[in-house]
Amino acid sequence: MTSTSADGPIVSLVDATKDYALGSTVVHALRGATLEVPRGAFMSIVGPSGSGKTTLLNLIGCVDRPTSGRVTVDGRDTSKLRERELTRLRLHTIGFIFQSFNLVHVLDVFRNVELPLLLQGQLGARARRERTLALLDRVGLSDHIKHRPSELSGGQRQRVAIARALVTRPKLVLADEPTANLDSATGESILDLMKDLNRDDHTTFIFSTHDARVMAHASSRVYIEDGRVASIEESADGSPAVAAGRMPAPVTPSADPG
Amino acid sequence: MLVADLRIAWLSLVEHRRRALFLGGAISGVTMLLVLLTSLSTGVRTTLIETATTLSTGHVNVGGFFKVTGGMAIPAVTHASKVVEVATEAVPELEFAVQRGRGWAKLVSATGSMQAGIGGIDIGSEQRFRRALSIVDGSLDGLEEPGTILLFREQADKLGVRAGDALTISAQTTRGVNNTVDCRVAAIAKDVGMLSKFNVFIPAASLRELYQYRPDTTGAVQLYVRGDAVDDLGPITARLRTALQDAGYGVMDPDDRPFWMKFDTVSRQAWTGQKLDVTTWEGELSFLTWTLSAIDGLSWVLLVILVAIVIAGIMNTMWIAIRERTREIGTLRAIGMQRVNVVRMLLLESVLLGLFGALLGAGMGAGLASLITSAHLEVPLAVQLFLMSDEVRLIAEPGAVLRAVLLLTAVTGLAALQPALRAARLRPVDAMSHFG
Repeated sequence: MTSTSADGPIVSLVDATKDYALGSTVVHALRGATLEVPRGAFMSIVGPSGSGKTTLLNLIGCVDRPTSGRVTVDGRDTSKLRERELTRLRLHTIGFIFQSFNLVHVLDVFRNVELPLLLQGQLGARARRERTLALLDRVGLSDHIKHRPSELSGGQRQRVAIARALVTRPKLVLADEPTANLDSATGESILDLMKDLNRDDHTTFIFSTHDARVMAHASSRVYIEDGRVASIEESADGSPAVAAGRMPAPVTPSADPG
Repeated sequence: MLVADLRIAWLSLVEHRRRALFLGGAISGVTMLLVLLTSLSTGVRTTLIETATTLSTGHVNVGGFFKVTGGMAIPAVTHASKVVEVATEAVPELEFAVQRGRGWAKLVSATGSMQAGIGGIDIGSEQRFRRALSIVDGSLDGLEEPGTILLFREQADKLGVRAGDALTISAQTTRGVNNTVDCRVAAIAKDVGMLSKFNVFIPAASLRELYQYRPDTTGAVQLYVRGDAVDDLGPITARLRTALQDAGYGVMDPDDRPFWMKFDTVSRQAWTGQKLDVTTWEGELSFLTWTLSAIDGLSWVLLVILVAIVIAGIMNTMWIAIRERTREIGTLRAIGMQRVNVVRMLLLESVLLGLFGALLGAGMGAGLASLITSAHLEVPLAVQLFLMSDEVRLIAEPGAVLRAVLLLTAVTGLAALQPALRAARLRPVDAMSHFG
């Protein structure tokens, strides 16, 4: 097992490529992405549809493997991990927030959020309950713990998804278009919640979006074009770099080989 | 972790309750049928053992043949009381022994006649005889008097007699002379299948008179052993053979056929005098056990067909369920559920369905078996031959019911294995199609 470094980047990609076979055609979804994500970042992956941002998140989230290149998460080279170890890495290090929420529809709110803790099997029932309830309180769903996902609004479901992603206290949370299925006001509140959690717990957030208002909340933005990291824009003080609604001017990163 | 798997499995069943009810109903039906079939088999076997080991054989028998000349074999045991003594000493498992005369004779009434196997009994010493028969006319006590006869209903109908009517029994003696004995019908019993087709009973003294046997001669000594010894009679028969040989008797080689099938074999042999034959009830009834084999065979064929249908149904349903839940499975894999847990979760769902369905079916099957038996449903004559009784008797043994539940639950689980393994092999990124 590779030792993790508390000081090094939480995520590192070196010349990562990903090809998909589509019939007899090979689709180059990622053409050599190089990127480092520092711990505690609140980063958006920005790009048009089909640019490769979801593929990038898949590789970072260890739900897919690169065709070539190297992806390191919390100091562990994912290409050297077996399926079982990758699953453990996802369970203990990464939280996921999906565009379509992806809650288990047969479980109520409480059970959905508690589920990753049950999978970890480290906490007793009482500790699990306390932590789950505290998190649900924090995302404002204390009054809905017995509700099934189908009984909740889109914003509430995404809050459940956020609580589920955070309940294991992961070092890294990945969010794929977390506000895409929400109205703008709800989307804003979800982003505010994510920022609060990033600020208070120093959890690293990486989220993909092609919505300019959403990307404006990020402290750093990674621009993806044609499967490559086209540029990275950082805010000097970690605050949003630009006002919402304006697309920032991209900066070409020196580390980008593409 | 198991708690989470169980919870999701159970809630998924509840969520898809229509599908679960349909499939669970099919599993219940199959289990119920299986329980009924095994109950029928057990019922026939139990009836056969109870009836046959009373009417025509003991658990172990010391029969044999007496040959005056090389070619003429008589089914008789001379000096029967000495044989009983030897058997009592050699078989500590013995509960009691009875002597039965054996013969084959013609029954003649005022309106008809028939050939029948004659059993000579001492009704006073028969401990199980009264329990095994149901008398519809007359009384078994009448058999205490010489010159009486017990018939079964179909025989009485054929001969056109009722209790109290007269019959003549005609047979050839050991000296080759025809002899007759006049009898009065003491009792008529309900038919007990094939066993009552060709057997009638007269007092042992009357049988001796008919065949002109000596007082201490009988057809066979029937030995009844303790319940726990019935299932393993091999050691007892081996011990008994040795003891009889040690006592100076000639003993025939083991031959698992009823005594009346051995006439030809014995008649062809050159020896004369007495030879004893130690047999078990299974050997004496081997001509009947095909019935059980047929019922068991039919049960197996039906079972295989039904299980195949259940497997196909469950696999199909699991494929549908998994297709519907692909994204959920992908999500669970993404958030950290191991493949083995996905398999376990899906198997649990199937096993839970199988268990509840099978329990329900087993309960219904056992209940129905009890209901049918208590209704004393009479069956046609042709069916009586197979059932060894004039009514349907189903016995749902707890062990057999439990085995049916376990079998159907296991089959249900196994049917879900391949779909579950396929689901577990899905890559999270493929399963969550929207994520790509």
